[in-house]
Amino acid sequence: MGIDIFEIVVNFLKIVVIFLLMIQMVPLLVWVERRGSAFIQNRFGPNRIGPLGLVQNLADLVKFLCKEDFLGHKTRKNFFYVAPVLSIIPAALAFGAIPLSSPVKVEAFKWLGYTWGPYIFYFQSFVMGIGIVFILAVSSLAVYALLLAGWSSGSKFSLYGALRASAQAISYELALSLSIVGIILLFNTFSFSEIISAQNGPLEFYFFGAKKSVPFLPNWGIFYQPLGAILLFVALFAEANRLPFDLPEAEAELVAGYHTEYSGVKIIMFYMGEYGHMLVASALMVTFYFGGYTLWPFLTPEKMNIAFSSFSPTWNSILTALVLHGVFMLKLFFFLWIFIWTRWTLPRFRYDQLMDLGWKTLLPWALINTIITGIWIFFMRGGFSG
Amino acid sequence: MLEILFFLFSGLVLYGALMTVLHRDLIICALHLAGSMLALAGLFFILGAHFIAGVQVLVYAGAVMVLFVMVVMLFNLKKTQSSLFTGGIWLKLSGLFFLTGLVAGLFPLSLHLFPLRSLRTVEITSTKELSLKLFTKYVFAFEVLGVLLLLIAVGVAVLCRRQDKVKES
Repeated sequence: MGIDIFEIVVNFLKIVVIFLLMIQMVPLLVWVERRGSAFIQNRFGPNRIGPLGLVQNLADLVKFLCKEDFLGHKTRKNFFYVAPVLSIIPAALAFGAIPLSSPVKVEAFKWLGYTWGPYIFYFQSFVMGIGIVFILAVSSLAVYALLLAGWSSGSKFSLYGALRASAQAISYELALSLSIVGIILLFNTFSFSEIISAQNGPLEFYFFGAKKSVPFLPNWGIFYQPLGAILLFVALFAEANRLPFDLPEAEAELVAGYHTEYSGVKIIMFYMGEYGHMLVASALMVTFYFGGYTLWPFLTPEKMNIAFSSFSPTWNSILTALVLHGVFMLKLFFFLWIFIWTRWTLPRFRYDQLMDLGWKTLLPWALINTIITGIWIFFMRGGFSG
Repeated sequence: MLEILFFLFSGLVLYGALMTVLHRDLIICALHLAGSMLALAGLFFILGAHFIAGVQVLVYAGAVMVLFVMVVMLFNLKKTQSSLFTGGIWLKLSGLFFLTGLVAGLFPLSLHLFPLRSLRTVEITSTKELSLKLFTKYVFAFEVLGVLLLLIAVGVAVLCRRQDKVKES
């Protein structure tokens, strides 16, 4: 919360702004997805309304708002209305716990006759000590929205979608959690900020107790855990229900899967949930394996502080945070583009292939990765003597 | 504040558990059980055991209950009678007997826990501390729990086998 009214107000504003940031990315991503798919398939895509078709989504929104709010006669009304809202909550909670930039340090200042501060505002909605576990826990609840939507619709296609969604979520959650263990072991922490600050520097590792350094590479997780990064990325695709893992809404088989019966604003909410999961997935990849908001050796918090040293300490901190937020967003957009790119490149899995990939490929490899990382770290960092 | 949250979450746990037993629709029962698990995680959280709260949500609400809900949906079970109103008179009486014993045993044991001032005394501050306790002091309890889970898995397999044989004959 905060120690006084200023800090409390800023913290609440922060929660609202970061939630809106997530929500506002959705129309942008939908536009990128439609234009990108058109680009990949050698079409034009939406290009008539506004510059480059950017206003197309506004027109679509008007269409969605004017749609009939349809209810089937076997629909369970309460759950039917709750499910779309439930699909946003896990993504929003998870996104709020990821640090989007360096913390802003505000010096003590005078305003309205009082002396305020000093404060430290973290560039995230809320700080959880158990960062990674919190994100895993919250995003594991996302499947309830799909389950409830499919079941309460009262239609066979929706129910099939819900069943597939739950089976898929359970199968890939194990691989998802296990593939992160390597990073936790390496950086020895659950906290996102500590993981990011550990990646801010040259590549350093222990080789049988001796410290080695590679001065031209950043200390990113991808160099230690390439296998873990691939496993995590695949599992995140499955958790976000994106193609090639969109079995729950396979339109060739199930009409539209769990949201067959939905229309209007409710389906927009499902889209917000799906794109929110994409955002969380990309942010996790950036944070764990690609240095988060730092870009050593060019854009690090320390160098930014020196670059903005002509400003007052408060403004220095704010400008640093904004520049580093830009770095984070660039990395985020790179992974979001990979999500979209993959969707329009790979065909959907068959159901047995999906299960094979989850249980027979990802899970064993994640286990092997965990065990080898553990043994490797134990011996390289000095073994029994260390 | 802490007391309000404590009673809120405790109430939610109890409400969820009661509805799990009393409701006639199996899916809604399962959902209430999931809600109960979530509220239990909230209890852990306000008691300072953040890691256990996270794992509680991850494992029980996120995985086990999803499996339950999925299985209930898969078999498309019709509305059943509440388990409170089924079963013979002897079952009910013995249930009542055990419930009385439980309540009578619990009250004297838990009354000294009020007032809630001592709520934060057993705070587990870090995950490291927890793991050290888990792998040194409580390692046998931990292992025994693992054996218990194995037992359950074997038991389920045995029970299912037997039912198949009955069907064959």
